[in-house]
Amino acid sequence: MVNLEELKKEASQILKEGKVKYIIGLQSSSNGLLPVPAFIKNPEDVEKLVWNPACVYNLTLFLRDEKRRKAKEKEPDEKPVGIIVKGCDSRAINVLLQEEFIKRDDVYILGISCENTGVLDEKKLAKKLKGKKAEKVEFGEKDDFVITTEDGKIKIAAQEVLSERCLECKAHFPVIYDVLIGEKTKRNIENPFKSLERIESLPPEERWKFWKEQIDKCIRCYACRSVCPMCYCDECVVDTISFVVTPDTPAEEKAQKIKWLEKSPVSSENFVYHFVRAIHLTGRCIDCGECERVCPLDIPIRFLNKKLEKEAKELFDYEAGFDPDQPSLVSSFKDEDPEDFIR
Amino acid sequence: MEKVLLKKALPQWVKKLESYTIYSPQEEGDFWNYEVIKNAEIIDLDYLNTVLSPKKIIFPQREVLFEFSTSNEDELKVKEILPEERPAVIFGVRPCDGKALTLTDKVFGGDFKDPYYWKRRNSTTLVGLTCNTPPSSNCFCLSVDGSPHSKEGLDILMTDLGDKYYAESFTKKGDELLNSAKALFKSPTAKDKKDLEKIKAESKKKIKRQIKATEKIPAKLKDMFASPFWDDESLSCIRCGICTYLCPTCHCFDMNDEVTSSSPIKGERVRTWDNCQFPDFTMHSSGHNPRPDKASRLRQRILHKFQYFVELYKNYQCIGCGRCISKCPVGIDIIEVLEKARDYGS
Repeated sequence: MVNLEELKKEASQILKEGKVKYIIGLQSSSNGLLPVPAFIKNPEDVEKLVWNPACVYNLTLFLRDEKRRKAKEKEPDEKPVGIIVKGCDSRAINVLLQEEFIKRDDVYILGISCENTGVLDEKKLAKKLKGKKAEKVEFGEKDDFVITTEDGKIKIAAQEVLSERCLECKAHFPVIYDVLIGEKTKRNIENPFKSLERIESLPPEERWKFWKEQIDKCIRCYACRSVCPMCYCDECVVDTISFVVTPDTPAEEKAQKIKWLEKSPVSSENFVYHFVRAIHLTGRCIDCGECERVCPLDIPIRFLNKKLEKEAKELFDYEAGFDPDQPSLVSSFKDEDPEDFIR
Repeated sequence: MEKVLLKKALPQWVKKLESYTIYSPQEEGDFWNYEVIKNAEIIDLDYLNTVLSPKKIIFPQREVLFEFSTSNEDELKVKEILPEERPAVIFGVRPCDGKALTLTDKVFGGDFKDPYYWKRRNSTTLVGLTCNTPPSSNCFCLSVDGSPHSKEGLDILMTDLGDKYYAESFTKKGDELLNSAKALFKSPTAKDKKDLEKIKAESKKKIKRQIKATEKIPAKLKDMFASPFWDDESLSCIRCGICTYLCPTCHCFDMNDEVTSSSPIKGERVRTWDNCQFPDFTMHSSGHNPRPDKASRLRQRILHKFQYFVELYKNYQCIGCGRCISKCPVGIDIIEVLEKARDYGS
């Protein structure tokens, strides 16, 4: 079982030694089961750190803010940022390194192993508890979660309330780290793409109907994009901010401005948005599942990325985030790459 | 007008309203949302808070304002497209969401009366439902001048008395609805009235969350525009648009021309919801962005709701539904932000 005290000790030490600027971790929330992000500068504040099955976040997304902040500073502090990661999150760091969005010296990685469990799916838990409110959730001794409700503590096998992503996880312990907390346990996932079968087995018309219904729900809040550590573009196609129009801008120039999609949340535009995002994540998504967790309308966004992950694996034997030195999927080719699509 | 309706007679009432488009909360997987219902039997008022409030019906996320086209002679034709004036009824409006419409009424009903908004607003009858128990653990209506049985903005307020609903009508539109099925409604007995008062009194006690001393906040915020407070509070914000798109009172919009044919030119001018959390929100044509970062965007959301709106309209632009708290991906809690602001520097 992961020892929180060990995490606090390591965190406190690197802050005291001045090894890091601050640590990106999680602290409990005054309201609700999920913790909230914490940015810890002072060694005494490490006491706030928590680690439990409700630590669903992929904190590597905050490296984007750090990079932007640093770019604005005249004399930026070059010290690394401490960051707490699970296995899946550590794969995100590898992708960010591979793409040279960050350098290895930018981060001091406090890796935590999920061992034989993972993170909680709040909705699954709510169904299990049938209306009772979970006040606290902790790791148990035997691959289970200990849930505190107003009626006391109950134990639930982790498998029953784990997020789908954890049931299909390929990296249950960090693949890159400076400090590892917890053990590199062995785990056998028979089919990491099992959840896809439900949709893949549908005939094309029904699959289209399924996706149309889902995508039509989208209100384009862009939470899926905003929470994604891979969506770090300075300017996203959905909100064009660099096209400056002055009173002198001729009509032709304005007309030539490419408008990728309209703001209207209608089928065609919603599809463009979700497909653009899915394709941009091909060979990059590390399946942290955060896009799906945050969607207020429960669109199963993860399936889109998962399907492309499967294609990359089957066609090119490519997996994202295990090796920061491998050439990226879309910018490299091998002689033996399949080419049946060329006719 | 005050009447009682047996619960099992609700579908019969709805059936009588066939000249109206009927909206009611529907369960979609793990959440509830307002949908048009075709079958009166599926009406279900035992629901939790909907993800989107009835705002999405009165002020839809996308609305065509007019169509434009050029003929062969290069003559520009513009045709105004106003919403169809089809009467609608929304069942199961939470009192806070009803109150929210009184706030958007102020915005769209000032010197310029927005015809698109008012066509829908005037042709829609709102049937509210008292929150006997709070529909969300983040409800805090009592702290923003609301109540779980507020009648503000509603035409009818129904209260669940167990096997029947107590229906209070406050408007002509509401009376018409009750009169459309006279045989189904009975006059309330003295016991019904007593039960109603009891449930209403208890409903208030069940609201767990509150902002203490909300009234002190607007004046305090006035001096906090340049405070580093916003940098700290927005550290974990990821710049998504959930808080504002789900907010029943947020009303900012954008207008764009959607061109469907370039020769001859044909298209529509479309109004869509806009979002102060997005980087292109009120971006100037010069390239200047008045809110260039997430701190200034969070500040905008809070100040608009608890300072600017109060100065303009004497109301908080927040109805305490708790949607922004429940759905924030990183747990930013408006109650906490406001209380911290209230106590900041003291």
